[in-house]
Amino acid sequence: MAERAPDQHGVRRPRSVGQRFVALFGSLELSCTLLLLLGLLTWLGTLAQVEHGLFEVQKKYFESYLLVHWLGPVPIPLPGANLVMSVLFVNLVVGGMLRLRASFDRNLGVLATHLGIALLFLSGFVKLHHSEEGHVTLFEGQSSATYQSYHRWELAISEALPDGSVREHLVPQEAFLQATNAQGVRLQGSDLPFDVELRYFMPNCSVGADGAGGVMLRALPLDAQSERNIAGAQVLLRGHDGSEHAGLVWGRDLHPFGARVAERRFAVDLRHERYPMPFRITLDDFQKEDHPGTGMPKSFLSDVRVQAGPTERAVRISMNEPLRDEGLVLYQASWGPANAAPGAPLFSTLAVVRNPADQWPLIGCIVIALGMAGHFGRMLWRNLRRQGARS
Amino acid sequence: MTRRTLAFSTVLLAAVLTVLTAPARVLAAVPAPAAAPAAAPAAAPAATPAPQSAPASEADHVPSVMPAATVELFEALPVQDGGRVKPLRSLADVTLLRLSGKRSLSLADGSKLSAPEWLLRVLLHPELAVEDPLFLVQDDAVIRAVEIMVGEHRKRDRYSFRELEPGLSRLFELAHEAAQLEERERSNLQAQTVVLASNVNSFLGLLDPLEATRALALLPPGVGVDTTAEWLTPADMEQRGRQALSVDPEHARLMGLWQQLKRQRHDATAFTATLDEFQRGTRALMAARGEGGQVDLELRYHRLGLLSHALACFLLSFVLVAISWLRPASRWVPRLGLCAAALGTLLLCAVIVLRCVIRGRPPVSTLYETVLFVAATGCLLALIMEWMTKRRVGLAAAAILGSVGLFLANGYELLDKQDTMPSLIAVLDTNFWLATHVTAITLGYSAGMLAALLGNGLLLARLLRLRRADAAWERELARMIYGIVAFAAFFATVGTILGGIWANESWGRFWGWDPKENGALLIVITQVAILHARKAGRLRAFGTAWAAAFSGTVIAFSWWGVNLLGVGLHSYGFTSGIHNALWSYYLLQWGVCAVALWPRGPAEATPAN
Repeated sequence: MAERAPDQHGVRRPRSVGQRFVALFGSLELSCTLLLLLGLLTWLGTLAQVEHGLFEVQKKYFESYLLVHWLGPVPIPLPGANLVMSVLFVNLVVGGMLRLRASFDRNLGVLATHLGIALLFLSGFVKLHHSEEGHVTLFEGQSSATYQSYHRWELAISEALPDGSVREHLVPQEAFLQATNAQGVRLQGSDLPFDVELRYFMPNCSVGADGAGGVMLRALPLDAQSERNIAGAQVLLRGHDGSEHAGLVWGRDLHPFGARVAERRFAVDLRHERYPMPFRITLDDFQKEDHPGTGMPKSFLSDVRVQAGPTERAVRISMNEPLRDEGLVLYQASWGPANAAPGAPLFSTLAVVRNPADQWPLIGCIVIALGMAGHFGRMLWRNLRRQGARS
Repeated sequence: MTRRTLAFSTVLLAAVLTVLTAPARVLAAVPAPAAAPAAAPAAAPAATPAPQSAPASEADHVPSVMPAATVELFEALPVQDGGRVKPLRSLADVTLLRLSGKRSLSLADGSKLSAPEWLLRVLLHPELAVEDPLFLVQDDAVIRAVEIMVGEHRKRDRYSFRELEPGLSRLFELAHEAAQLEERERSNLQAQTVVLASNVNSFLGLLDPLEATRALALLPPGVGVDTTAEWLTPADMEQRGRQALSVDPEHARLMGLWQQLKRQRHDATAFTATLDEFQRGTRALMAARGEGGQVDLELRYHRLGLLSHALACFLLSFVLVAISWLRPASRWVPRLGLCAAALGTLLLCAVIVLRCVIRGRPPVSTLYETVLFVAATGCLLALIMEWMTKRRVGLAAAAILGSVGLFLANGYELLDKQDTMPSLIAVLDTNFWLATHVTAITLGYSAGMLAALLGNGLLLARLLRLRRADAAWERELARMIYGIVAFAAFFATVGTILGGIWANESWGRFWGWDPKENGALLIVITQVAILHARKAGRLRAFGTAWAAAFSGTVIAFSWWGVNLLGVGLHSYGFTSGIHNALWSYYLLQWGVCAVALWPRGPAEATPAN
């Protein structure tokens, strides 16, 4: 880069630290290298999905800074897509915008394009770090004011209060994910009359008979589809009064593990993390329509009522027609049971996403389209005129 | 001398291909021959018991083909199949293709039946149809596995229902076992067993007595019944009669006519008259329901056979282009070639427009339609390029793209053996996103493939050391490639982002690293890298051409390859034939790219860079 004639690409011979920085991080060679690296990662990450499933691959290749790809027995260290895209973002800002200031009017299209791509990167960053996603699954007639995560677990310790209400103590999964051995982890709550010991945490397990009339958890290998994993653990409540209550918690149990400690009633449940919604949603009707004479779905739709405070309104959510309200977006995602008899009650699963950058890609797309069309259109026009002049 | 020989062989090959496709074209365009010679004595040995009650003596005098007018009436009957109303011709075509792997059936006496003629034969003369060599078996290991004794057959051959009949229970048993496995875990033999069993099952559905066939939903339900209701088959009507349910008088009349058909099968005039009355009745019911508005247009689409004509035009254009290379001074040959390519492109565009009207959809909503669209827009682009540069490069590209594209479309149809105008699943039922995202990304494919083709042109010109391919020619070609890559990058980028926005609308996330999304991203990355590397001065004429040629395999991976991985929301199912074709292309392209990189002797040092 430094040896090239200064006028060739509008880059002067570097002099100051700032100019050196611009020359290094704004270079087209760096862009090409990063693009090729990102291409390689995308390709490897696509092929790896056949064996490892999307969730694992996404973490390893696309949300990482460094990774080791195994080519048969040979380990190949690679930068993760997160690192590559971060540097590419810097490259894009420095090279695509700062460097082009010199000839602003000629490069307006290029600038706009790079600005649009930068907006896409930003929206990806915001989505990765500041979004929540989960689902709310309802049978017809049911309602809910919370939605739950597909992947994340939480330990919910509920206490039934004398006035009939329930008080919940929630423990996020970071507190117990590592408690996979006999020693486990000890959790304390300020106003709980006991400590909770969680042991043998298993990220995926099933329940079976232990041969002595009881039940036990059996560890299973992790499923490639992460939402299919059902976590479980042994739990022991050590009462401050010296009592001990041992039991099991499992992600799909019908009843939580219950205990009475110091004359207070508690239930301990391992469940997918739940988040509150700013409204209550009730499923009035779910319809699945097939193309006539086939089992091929033509449309799915959920008629719901959205209740926020005293106001209530009816909304229809269908494929490609989500509900956007209060920063949340609800999509028609799934339904079941798959083997339901005709006329049997069905449930509808609505995916719920909170993403502050929800509409940014649309803006980015318009800016990029205008920028590229402007730039390439200008180049085409110039070429045509040059050709016309020659002939 | 060597170059001339090569060019001559190319011309010869193209000419042979033109001649070979001509009869197919005639067959597709012209309705069935009026009356083929009676084939019955050879086809129906009196000694074999027929599955139906027709006496052998009667069968002996049955003509194998109905008069053309009758077949035309028959194929125009509206039928509900695969979730939509279509002409019976569409159903017959796909059924015969699925069972026999061909669009027409050759009988033992050498005569040929079109798909509607064959279906008519199965319905009216099942005792003959069971003897026809119908079921394509790719590998006779399947026949050995079901333990039946058959006469002499080739490894890949067609078998009659009569031949397979003794092994049916074993066949269904094996198929049932194989069907328990995931599709990708089945062995080749198991996969073929499942296919054969499924085909035999379809055929058994057609062998029902005509009066009670359950394979054809021919009767529209009454007016007022909602549009998602299923049409009725003669079997449904019979069941209603048995259960003493009330039957609409018009339905009863139509069923009466349908039942008459079997009795009139030896009297073509009476048969045709009854069939005509029946189809008028069902069409009136259909029209009253506001359904099937495009049935006639779809029938015309099949009868016109525009794709075969377009292919002939492209092949002719290719031959003329090849001749113009041998005789560069000639002015008329390339002009004729241009006319042929333009006509082919026009016909192809007409096909796409017709399909849009029939389906009420934007141009691309299935994988098959991407092939037609890529070929059409690629040819259009190449012709525009030819108009701008007049170097005959665009013309050659149009001829090649058109021919290859239409061969691929035909090959895909033969491999897939499904309706090419299927109903769409819920998430695709949105004309807005199909028109924007899908059209844009497919335009990206098409321009990218054109750039790859031109890139290969430059690499091959170098490898073959063509005299005309001097440095100036290379530079100009590279400029064209650059322009087309820019065009492709625009549509691939916008199309990919639009796809993300659509995903955000339907699944709640802009980007999910799904294989199809990754494929689209790979195309964008490759093309953007080419643009930046050229801007940086790292790619000149040869480099641009090389990278564009290589990017063809990236597009092929995104377009076809990721669908074969069998994961993700965009996976459309596995077709091993596509797998082979795709790998042939990868290897060929990588081979060309590798050979082009081979260092050459000092005498022919790089002319351009």
